[in-house]
Amino acid sequence: MTATTRPSGSTSPRTGVPRAPDDSLEPRELGAAPRRPAGHRFRTRVLTPYAMIAPAILLFLAFMAAPIVYTVALSFQRVQVQGLGLGSGARKTVFAGFSNYVAALDAEFLASVGRVLLYGLILVPTMLGLALLFALLLDSKRSRATRFSRLVIFLPYAVPGVIASLLWGFLYLPAVSPFYFVTDALGLDAPTILSSDLIVFGLANIGLWGGVGFNMVVIYTSLKAVPSDIYEAARLDGCSEIQIALRIKVPIVFPALVMTGLFSLIATLQVFAEPTTLRPLTNALSTTWSPLMKVYRDAFTRDDLGAAAATSVIIAIVTLAMSFIFLRIVQKRAFGQED
Amino acid sequence: MTTTASTHIRASATSSATTLRPSPIATGILIIGALYCLIPVVWVVAASTKSAGELFSSFTLLPSTHVFDNLAQLSAYRDGLFWRWMLNSAIYAGVGAIASTWVSALAGYVLAKFAFPGKAAVFSILLTGVLVPGVILAIPQYLLLAQLGLTNSYWAVLLPQIISPYAIYLARIYAAAAVPTDVVEAARTEGAKEFAIFNRIALPMMLPGLVTILLFQFVAVWNNFMLPYIMLGDDTLFPVTVGLSGLLNQGASAPSMYTLVIAGALVSVLPLVLLFLLLQRFWRVDLAAGAVKA
Amino acid sequence: MHSIKRGIAATVAVAALALTGCSAGGGDDGPVGLDFWAWAPNVDKVVEIWNEQNPDIQVTVQKQDGGDPVITKLLTALKAGSGAPDLIQAEYQKIPTLVSSDALADISGDLDADVADEFADGLWSSVTLGSDAVYAVPQDSGPMMFYYREDIFEELGLEAPTTWDEYAEVAAAVHASDPSRYLGTFSANDAGWFTGLAQQAGASWWSIDGDAWGVDIDESPTQQVAEYWGGLVEEGVIDNKPMYTPEWNAGLNDGSQVGWLSAVWAPGVLSGNAADTAGLWRAAPMPQWDADAPATGAWGGSSTAVTTQTENQAAAAEFATWLNTDPEAVAAMADVMGIYPAATDAAAEALTTSPEFFSNQEDFYDVAAEAADTIAPFTYGPNVNVTFSAYNDEFAKAAEAKTSSAFLDAVAEMQQITVDDLENTGFTVE
Repeated sequence: MTATTRPSGSTSPRTGVPRAPDDSLEPRELGAAPRRPAGHRFRTRVLTPYAMIAPAILLFLAFMAAPIVYTVALSFQRVQVQGLGLGSGARKTVFAGFSNYVAALDAEFLASVGRVLLYGLILVPTMLGLALLFALLLDSKRSRATRFSRLVIFLPYAVPGVIASLLWGFLYLPAVSPFYFVTDALGLDAPTILSSDLIVFGLANIGLWGGVGFNMVVIYTSLKAVPSDIYEAARLDGCSEIQIALRIKVPIVFPALVMTGLFSLIATLQVFAEPTTLRPLTNALSTTWSPLMKVYRDAFTRDDLGAAAATSVIIAIVTLAMSFIFLRIVQKRAFGQED
Repeated sequence: MTTTASTHIRASATSSATTLRPSPIATGILIIGALYCLIPVVWVVAASTKSAGELFSSFTLLPSTHVFDNLAQLSAYRDGLFWRWMLNSAIYAGVGAIASTWVSALAGYVLAKFAFPGKAAVFSILLTGVLVPGVILAIPQYLLLAQLGLTNSYWAVLLPQIISPYAIYLARIYAAAAVPTDVVEAARTEGAKEFAIFNRIALPMMLPGLVTILLFQFVAVWNNFMLPYIMLGDDTLFPVTVGLSGLLNQGASAPSMYTLVIAGALVSVLPLVLLFLLLQRFWRVDLAAGAVKA
Repeated sequence: MHSIKRGIAATVAVAALALTGCSAGGGDDGPVGLDFWAWAPNVDKVVEIWNEQNPDIQVTVQKQDGGDPVITKLLTALKAGSGAPDLIQAEYQKIPTLVSSDALADISGDLDADVADEFADGLWSSVTLGSDAVYAVPQDSGPMMFYYREDIFEELGLEAPTTWDEYAEVAAAVHASDPSRYLGTFSANDAGWFTGLAQQAGASWWSIDGDAWGVDIDESPTQQVAEYWGGLVEEGVIDNKPMYTPEWNAGLNDGSQVGWLSAVWAPGVLSGNAADTAGLWRAAPMPQWDADAPATGAWGGSSTAVTTQTENQAAAAEFATWLNTDPEAVAAMADVMGIYPAATDAAAEALTTSPEFFSNQEDFYDVAAEAADTIAPFTYGPNVNVTFSAYNDEFAKAAEAKTSSAFLDAVAEMQQITVDDLENTGFTVE
């Protein structure tokens, strides 16, 4: 594989190939090489990478790590009230042990996880499949209207999830939707998307609409990083465009696909804006439809930060575990032969 | 050497394009995908031309004539507050995206091109940021920024959004792909300082990828709701997302200002579309060609 | 080591002073600056009148989202010690929650004794929580009324229902005339609406008994209301979709929603969402359970409260009093904000001509005043938000199930969730 992807120029052989987070070794890395002379120069070379990554680390510590630690701390606290709980000093924050966690893992939460997994099962494969298809078609020399298509398919990414849901909400409501207008005119009995049975498809559609372009561009960018003389060679060998796509391009972008898959999976578990915006339009969505909606309800409707924090921590741990398992599974297949 | 290679690639690409027949199926699939993406856009454009009465009474895709009335009303709303929101969004997204892209590029470059103790750990820890839902993070971020007296200010929205694990992740990929180790080594042999190598050599090579990151960050900040919602009390500091949400949720006893919200939503997306169009040519640049310019 | 720490602390403190100074105003010389979080449209225009007349106390309206999250935002700012406004527009049902979180200042010492006389007893008790403290000044109220399409009623030969039995008959007649038509909808999304209906039937979901809270949701008045609506939905003569959706707006426009059980502020919503139907609607008193003892509920309505973080409590209380009792301010609120001011007498003076949308009905405000007089007493508890989100979830299920028994189950669930929450937080529940 490596041999065929190696370009004639000086570019790194694994160009544009995203790697798993724990796969940190780059070919021919730079750094504190032993052949460098010791002394001042050496010390600079050792410290330089740390100096250069310092801004990211500091910002991370201040605005992500510290709030995360704070969230964990909050998850072990709860508000304790006495009597009527009115007037100043009636509320105090007390150590809660694991009670928030025990309370968080209720049937409501598990049901919301189940719904979101179904949602992800519908959305992620569809979205990535289409994103890959579109990226390959954009990259294909036989497609036309690629500039237009690329821009338009990417366009929904510019639309915030809340606004996208508002727009699709209008399109889902029979009384104001052009779809239902058309089906009514044709005398067809169209299914109600905003019903309990179909709502998950309606939500997946909004996710697909907003996300397919983004993933397409990521995959397309990684396709573009490969010098085209590889394909040229394949063409000279008599490969068709479809064969080139399946045998050369897909394996090249597979790691990119893995990572977009991972990030899509994470985004799926954190789905929030779409169901929250659609909820007022239908009886089919509860205030705890997705795990993050439950977090939001606890934090912003019930003002129960402890419960919200505990649920958040659980979501993060589950996400981490699932990401890990996901990477383990695909890594064996994707990167296995390289080791 | 690089120049020859690249010329060769371009020459062969041109020649092959002329020999391959266009495929109607391939083009057709792309067009169908594009049309699907356009449906809600067509709807919102049509809806933005309607008066409040027409919005709920006429056929939804039929345009009307009130687009300028709606825009005028939107502009008139509380002495042009909407445009202040747009300006705020531009500041948050513009400054935030540039800062974020630079920080991410630096981090991504270091992670891709240096070996140093603790690198794997640093990268893994940075990536865990992706796992934490932003909804809950906003409240602790507020409580921490309040300690510095920075809430209810531009800083409160700008600072937390500079760090983006996803952008760092992408930057690392682009740096690994686009910056040849030989070039860095050569510059180093000539005695260039590391920061200079990054700024003068690596950054231009990574540029096409960085434009993508810039775009993603710009969109992420522009569309963020929860962080500015929690951080800001002063409505003249609101970004357009938080401002429009206020027009939609005025309590049960006042109607949602749908016509303003729809017109506002359309206007608020235009700068992003414009940005996509302007930066589009950067996406076309072959990453391998970057070495030639350097 | 210690000196370094102290140095950092001092720097942070100085920075904090420099950066937060803008909203505090305070100072010995310059005018007092007050921040006012509100969501009601056009409240800034009324505040302008105050600012012109009171150069020493300048109020800045910071318009917020009208949803629940603004409360969390406020409580977060209070917890952090900075960033909260001086004044906040608070719905009546949020007051116990806010008081319980120590967010609202007791302004009883800043008010004249006669301020209470401006308001109906029921409204005043919801800002005092039955104590000697005063946590807010009532701003507007939302006596519930019944609205219907006069033209369609005439066409079908129907009269406005005066009792709930008649309402059921009219609902059946309307739906029979055209299956796409409904006299109304049971909205699982509007807990405040259902609360008003239960209030009319005699429910009061919370009660204070000495040092303990009582929760009385799953009692006969609320059960009666739930069973009634469950029956109508089960029969199919009443729609089961939420209100305030684009679809519902379209229904108001095209005449498929023939009636609306709403409140006095309905003209503003109707003119915004169904502008083309101006002059076609008529307001009537709510249908009654007992025609001999007329009663109604309240939906919406809010107060102006002073937060515990303000440094200018007296000035803030002075403004809140002016906004809600001064005849000029009250008239301006009624006029530009389109609300029904809580100050009874001042409101009666200000509200003489019917809203433009109801130009066909001269006695609009007579009907409203009658309704306002018959609002049944109701006590809110410290966890209204929990109860309201339980309403959303449980009644959404019931409305989908479309059975009367599911509606009754939903009421029982609301009771259970509310009591559990209170007990878990440590409140004493009797």
